[in-house]
Amino acid sequence: MSSDSAFVRATDAVKAQLRTRLQPVWAVLCTVLAPLDRAIQPVADLYNRSLGRHFGTMTGLQFGVIALGFGMIATVPFWSPFYSETLNITFAVASIWAIFAMSWDIQSGYTGYISFGHSVLSGAAGYTIGLLILHYDPSMGPLVTIPLAVLASLVLGLVIAVPSLRLRGPYFSLITLVGVLLFTNLIFAFSEWTNGELGIHQVDPFTYEPWIRYYYMAIPMLVIAVGLTYVARSNVGMVLLTIRENERAVSSAGLDPTKFKISSFVLSSIPMGIGGALLVYYGRAINPVSFVEISNSIEIIALAVIGGMGSIIGPLFGSFLFFFLEEELLRDFIEDSSTRTLVLWLFVLGVLVFARNGVFRVVWHALGAVRGDSE
Amino acid sequence: MTLLEIDGLTKRFGGLVAVDDLSFSVESGEIVGLIGPNGSGKTTVFNCIMSTYVPTEGRIQFNGHDVTDDKTYQIVNHGLSRVSQESNPIDLLSVGANIKLFTLPNSFLACALPDAILARRSDGGPGILDHAERVGLGDKIEEKPGSLAHADVRRLEIAKALATDPDMLLLDEPFAGMNQAEIRELSEQIEQFREEGITMIVVDHNMRGLMQLVDRVVVLSSGQKLAEGEPEEIVDDEAVQEAYLAGEHGGIKR
Amino acid sequence: MLSGLPTVLVNAALISALYALIAIGFTMIFGVGGVLNLAHGALLMAGAYAYLLLARDTISVPVFESMTLHPLIAFPIAVVTVAVLSYLLYVVIVQFVEDNPIVTFLATIVVALAATEVVIHYAGASTQTYTLIPSDLLPSTVGFGPVDGILTVDVVGFVVSWIAIGLLWLYVTKTDSGRAIRATSMTERGARLTGVNVHAVRARTWLVAGALAGIGGVFLGASSSATPGMWLQPLSLAFIIVVIGGIGSIKGSIVAAYLIGFLQTGVGEYLGQNFRGILSLVLLIAVLFMLPQGLFGREYHE
Repeated sequence: MSSDSAFVRATDAVKAQLRTRLQPVWAVLCTVLAPLDRAIQPVADLYNRSLGRHFGTMTGLQFGVIALGFGMIATVPFWSPFYSETLNITFAVASIWAIFAMSWDIQSGYTGYISFGHSVLSGAAGYTIGLLILHYDPSMGPLVTIPLAVLASLVLGLVIAVPSLRLRGPYFSLITLVGVLLFTNLIFAFSEWTNGELGIHQVDPFTYEPWIRYYYMAIPMLVIAVGLTYVARSNVGMVLLTIRENERAVSSAGLDPTKFKISSFVLSSIPMGIGGALLVYYGRAINPVSFVEISNSIEIIALAVIGGMGSIIGPLFGSFLFFFLEEELLRDFIEDSSTRTLVLWLFVLGVLVFARNGVFRVVWHALGAVRGDSE
Repeated sequence: MTLLEIDGLTKRFGGLVAVDDLSFSVESGEIVGLIGPNGSGKTTVFNCIMSTYVPTEGRIQFNGHDVTDDKTYQIVNHGLSRVSQESNPIDLLSVGANIKLFTLPNSFLACALPDAILARRSDGGPGILDHAERVGLGDKIEEKPGSLAHADVRRLEIAKALATDPDMLLLDEPFAGMNQAEIRELSEQIEQFREEGITMIVVDHNMRGLMQLVDRVVVLSSGQKLAEGEPEEIVDDEAVQEAYLAGEHGGIKR
Repeated sequence: MLSGLPTVLVNAALISALYALIAIGFTMIFGVGGVLNLAHGALLMAGAYAYLLLARDTISVPVFESMTLHPLIAFPIAVVTVAVLSYLLYVVIVQFVEDNPIVTFLATIVVALAATEVVIHYAGASTQTYTLIPSDLLPSTVGFGPVDGILTVDVVGFVVSWIAIGLLWLYVTKTDSGRAIRATSMTERGARLTGVNVHAVRARTWLVAGALAGIGGVFLGASSSATPGMWLQPLSLAFIIVVIGGIGSIKGSIVAAYLIGFLQTGVGEYLGQNFRGILSLVLLIAVLFMLPQGLFGREYHE
């Protein structure tokens, strides 16, 4: 941050003031939460000893939050009716977008090569399904269409990644941005096939039953979360992070940065394809506005950034936070949908300016610091 | 046996010729000193060998392979590593993780495997702790490079290069910024590396630290090879003396 | 209906001037701060809608009662409004995040998306058209010889664009504050060393770029239409032009603008409007791979 401007200096002063004001509040929180942290620690250590090596170690509080979070996600249909009728649906949608956000994160968040074009990957999957059903065989079931859709996503991922990741960061980002625009343009240009703006609506959903539909979304999401977290905490994640921080060191270590960048992009395409397929079967339709247009890519990035880039779990919680705000909390206060969206974008902006490492990351570090700060 | 052969190496930057038709070779087991006044092109030679720069002309052979056009990571995988003049630690990772990175195989899938399986694959070679202890950082594995003393950061650089299991090391100004005790310690370590079978080129801009250490010296001046021979010959060489007096105060110190 | 070749050529030449104007603002901001302002298209949109607000009574915003000002008054006010918005964008948001290019990318594009919501809220989601040149002042189309059906507003836009470019050139070569912008654009460290307040220079650049965007936006909206989604196309056009021309180079922007202007007009006329964007995007991809620094530019420094 530059130090020239009076405006910036003023904001720094305000931030410092805030920190001193909040200090006693934090002290109280620590005193209250520390015993809880100590109480959960034995269970957390059980996890730390067995799986901690693969997924990351945690303090008692951190473990508690993760367990609670995942527990709640796994049981949504049971407790959500007590909160609202629509929470089930909101979280089903959030699950799909969590898949997108996590997929983006393992590539962009970790390597630092920011892709603005991830929506073409889910779009490719979606349009594969749509085109197959519309033009080839309307009775084709998901067991056939989904693998083909994921394959399409993977192939497109390769096509984009192999040439583009030779370029430096900002140029790569621009190429992916252009990719989205190109894809969107192509959909409209070939409207006789793709039905242009209206999209393809002849898709049968998995089920009409909301409970089961939720699990159709949430279970793949959880599996992907576990898988990507494992990769992220493995040596692969370390290499990718080093590409972000110090790419030269990666070469000096005898590792081909381009190979790892491409691999992470291709890896990322697979869950993007899965998510795209799920989105089609959820919404029973594919169209450029909900899948491909640039705002979708930006939303994916926003979810990941709000949560915390480069952590996999951050984007997951970011997605649930965002959709909860948009569909549940803010709906009570703001009726107009465009104002709601505006408020959300302003929230994202706020996070970018004041907490660019992400809300979840801030919370995570706070949870980890409780015991230390209370002593 | 000739491990490294540099043949007619030339590097131009626009109008500036940094290295001019340089040829020399290094035999297996040798420690060769590459010296010259500041700006004579020593680091540029290393950069060309490691493919940080693309040579304008000339060829470089390592262990029988022509590596002139290879990328840096390929050269490292052939068995040639460098310790740069400026340290380049990965600040995000701990000392141990820094070293670990340099032990990893160049394969996405292999890196995805758990460490237990990776260890089994490398059947009992030196582990990260071993690499750290070798340079005296055994007790600092958990620390971040940002909190290390300068000498320790330099040690980390050496540990990282060693972790790639090199047949040959390029050391660029390894003694810079060190006191007498540290220079002595590092010289002993370098001798130790030779005994373990590592061939080396050591760059320095004067002979002080190098005299006892190296078998042969190559002298660079303005990008060209000025002289080549045993340390005693070089120190007495008049042309070398002149190059140093012209470029620096005090000439070569004994 | 295919127009004759002369008409197509004239149209291309006219629209290219507008493209150049749009691209120059974008490239100036990059030149002084290394920021790719993805909200640039949104500023264009703001210009169009600001003009609509002032000159038509179709939009109502709190505080401003609906008004219909004469174009000659509404136009400069709209331009100044956008300039101020651009300035505020820098001072309130971008200057806090410009150290991190990724966050800046995201912040500026989020601003663009937020701006879309604001526009939808106050002006509705549907397309609106407006005429800039009152038909009692000038006829709405002109023609001469083999050329006909040229929109007057395009001609006026062409003239105004070149006047603006000329004034800009005078500004950055003849005035101290303008030269400071040029200096900072060439070497930030050098500028700092000679006492230039880089922050003030950047803020000023955003102000100027905003003014250019405002002018461009009003004419763009008048020439085609105003919709809440209209920020994306000019933005992608701007960076296609800027990358091809060379990031940071005003001369490059002008040359590339004409290249793209002719390409797009030609493709749109002979291959269909749907394909207009595609060829330019393909060209951009080719340039990014083969000549990343563009025709006249310096390489992107990290």
